[in-house]
Amino acid sequence: MCMSEEDRHFSAELAVIGTGLAGFAASIFALKRNIKTAQVGNTGAVAYTTGYLDLLGSLAPDYLASIEDPWQGIEQLRDSHPRHPLCRIPKDDIFTAFEQFTSFLGKCGIAYTPPGEFNVSGLTPAGTLKPTLCVPATMQVGSAAFSQKEPCVIIDFKGLKGFSSRQVVANLKDRWPKLSSKRVEFPDMVSGEIYPEVMARSLEVPATREKLAKILASAAGDVKVIGLPAILGMHAPDLVREELEQLTGLQIFEIPTMPPSVPGIRLREMFEQLFPQKGVTLIPQQKVDRLVFIENGAQLSLNDSFGPISIHAKSVILATGRFLSGGLKAGVDGVSEPLLKLPVTQPDSRREWYREKYTDRRGHAVNSAGIEVDSSFRPLDNHGRPYSKNLFAAGVILAHQDWIRGRCGAGVAIATAYKAVEEVEKLLK
Amino acid sequence: MTEKTIPTLNFKEKAEELLPEGASFEACLTCGLCSSGCPASGIENMDPRKFIRMAMLGMDKELSTSKWIWACTQCKRCQHVCPMSIDISQLVFLARSNWPREKKPAGIVRSCQLIQSTDSTSAMGLPPEDFVFVVQDVLEEVREQQPKFKNMQAPMDKKGAHFFVNQNSREPMSEPDEMVPLWKIFDIVGANWTYSSKAWAAENFCMFSGNEEAWREVIKKRVDAVNELGCEVWLNTECGHSYYTMWNGINRFGMKADFKLESLVTYYARWIREGKLPVNSDWNRKNITFTVQDPCMIVRKAYGESIAEDMRFVTKSLVGEENFIDMQPNRSANYCCGGGGGFLQAGMTEHRRTYGKRKFDQIAATGASYVLTPCHNCHSQIEDIGHHYRGSYGVVHFWTLICLSLGILGENERTYLGPDLLECI
Repeated sequence: MCMSEEDRHFSAELAVIGTGLAGFAASIFALKRNIKTAQVGNTGAVAYTTGYLDLLGSLAPDYLASIEDPWQGIEQLRDSHPRHPLCRIPKDDIFTAFEQFTSFLGKCGIAYTPPGEFNVSGLTPAGTLKPTLCVPATMQVGSAAFSQKEPCVIIDFKGLKGFSSRQVVANLKDRWPKLSSKRVEFPDMVSGEIYPEVMARSLEVPATREKLAKILASAAGDVKVIGLPAILGMHAPDLVREELEQLTGLQIFEIPTMPPSVPGIRLREMFEQLFPQKGVTLIPQQKVDRLVFIENGAQLSLNDSFGPISIHAKSVILATGRFLSGGLKAGVDGVSEPLLKLPVTQPDSRREWYREKYTDRRGHAVNSAGIEVDSSFRPLDNHGRPYSKNLFAAGVILAHQDWIRGRCGAGVAIATAYKAVEEVEKLLK
Repeated sequence: MTEKTIPTLNFKEKAEELLPEGASFEACLTCGLCSSGCPASGIENMDPRKFIRMAMLGMDKELSTSKWIWACTQCKRCQHVCPMSIDISQLVFLARSNWPREKKPAGIVRSCQLIQSTDSTSAMGLPPEDFVFVVQDVLEEVREQQPKFKNMQAPMDKKGAHFFVNQNSREPMSEPDEMVPLWKIFDIVGANWTYSSKAWAAENFCMFSGNEEAWREVIKKRVDAVNELGCEVWLNTECGHSYYTMWNGINRFGMKADFKLESLVTYYARWIREGKLPVNSDWNRKNITFTVQDPCMIVRKAYGESIAEDMRFVTKSLVGEENFIDMQPNRSANYCCGGGGGFLQAGMTEHRRTYGKRKFDQIAATGASYVLTPCHNCHSQIEDIGHHYRGSYGVVHFWTLICLSLGILGENERTYLGPDLLECI
């Protein structure tokens, strides 16, 4: 390439590597503490989230029943699994982390319920219940209607895959007798497959809301509460829901759909738009190629289609996630951490990765593999010492947790990001 | 004569050749974020996820003949939202290349042929001498009729000028007065610029037609012309794909270019920041609202956030911050309008408007009275879908609004202003 171009350099007090829930949470907490932050990561898995923010929904080793009190659950974990990341953070800090995270989202246009003492039951597209600490405001009525067992119609749409009101009703009917289902047509959608994302964007147009309101009112009949797949707008969901409620005179709530689900896309688009406005140097869609620690900081190197970018940062939070996002890599010789070659705690051999049955409730050993950190959330090297005083880690890359079985993905992400940023602040001072 | 058939491509094999080591279309999780976020999903019963799955399943015959590849604008939004960063547009380009010329949409092929037919590289076939004549003619008229600009220049083939300025053919060919606001801006900031009689045109449908050799030839002509005049910057005016085809082409074909490629939008922002372009929004007393369309070709596919930010800075400076409403989604996540990829020339009007419905909804959701966009294809498509879906917005170029704000917009330069904007002059 012979065309003239310029290298781009940025400097920051903190570089967050990763654009999943943990990475975004870290940037939010850093903003709150006025830490100058740069964040890099490829698209990541945020768009796959249901929107529910769980803390702890089920307990190891058997993950049998859902737990109602996540705080007590963490106390139990402290005895049984003291190395679980959630056990290494004081309860008050976890609570504050959830409070700050949800209030940030609320101020940016996606209202959430604040953290409470108990889990609430989030509805899923499979008609199951997910124990979760915070729910988007658009979904709150559903949890309440379920606990009151109010008469309710779940509505789905012709051409929409990944959400069946009949399925939801079939699985909940025993516990929610006055639940029924209806299928309607979404206004002005050409025939064929339609996507929640498209419906959500279309509902940002007032005229579409008016047309849909008529359809919904007619489908509801005498019932006053209706549940819809999560399609109530993309960047102003609370406004869309409120307007539809006014137009129909009904109480309306959302249920997440199968991925790609609108609540996840909402979060990602919001972060990508707002962080730069708030002063975060955000470089989305790119992976860090190289990370080296130098005196008093680190140098990150990456490339986009325009050429090289380098970032100098005084501290780094590694929030690169697990296998899907590339934070961990599974190979014939085992699980590795590709960016810094950090040692990964893992089963002794591949044969021990999985149990006999994939659906075994106890989960699989490989899912608790991950990197080790010290009490300040600094990753450890092969000698059990911090890799660098300037490096911290957050999120599900950490060992000793199975976030899927434990229903604690958001909890681990948000709480450890909070803790890591707190440690970064100490370092910078 | 027997009719040519479309040869069958081995997509999986080709994909493996194209991708960098370690990358694989098999990494696709089939999650559907691509299809969910693609305005071409459903057209010709195809979508990006289906395309990848069919390629992986070896359904080469069906894919090789699918007309969907002409409805995909290669906007790369699918790759942008893909957690595995899978680039489907590469396969679409391959598929386009694979169609015999006789089968390809005639409009795109014709535009590429016209580009090759003269040294202008103009998709409307305007030869160099005609371009020189039109520029001279319009310039003389402005000098005579607008005393403020009686000494204005529109230099041609000026060696050593800082900026080599390109021009979409639509202006000299169909609406020559639209060149004038641009010249006035250069005049006001004192830019050292030139047009070239050769390779002055911006558009490049050869890339869209899947004709790689022709694409290379066009870029070669343009690179040579800039090198010959010794300009430091090839300045792309308000035309999206011309930038991308040039930038991508120079890299792809390993050409030697002794100059930088820049977008006019970046300079608008710079000149406003430096005070050289003293625009303000005082004229907008009636609080007329505006949104901006981020052209895929210069935002998502090229500069990314920095140019999107410049565009918003320019817009807010021009219309007032309170009168700017962003489209959702926007910047790199924005949807293609449906005018890209040669769609406007492909003669598939119904499909193009189906595609454009998403853009229409985005604009309708803002409620803005005008869309500003620095891209001709966006401009034409957004106007068309506005009429088709009975929208009430207008579409304007940045140069028009800049000159309006500066109080120097001539009478013949107001084609795209609605009555509300005309009253502000």
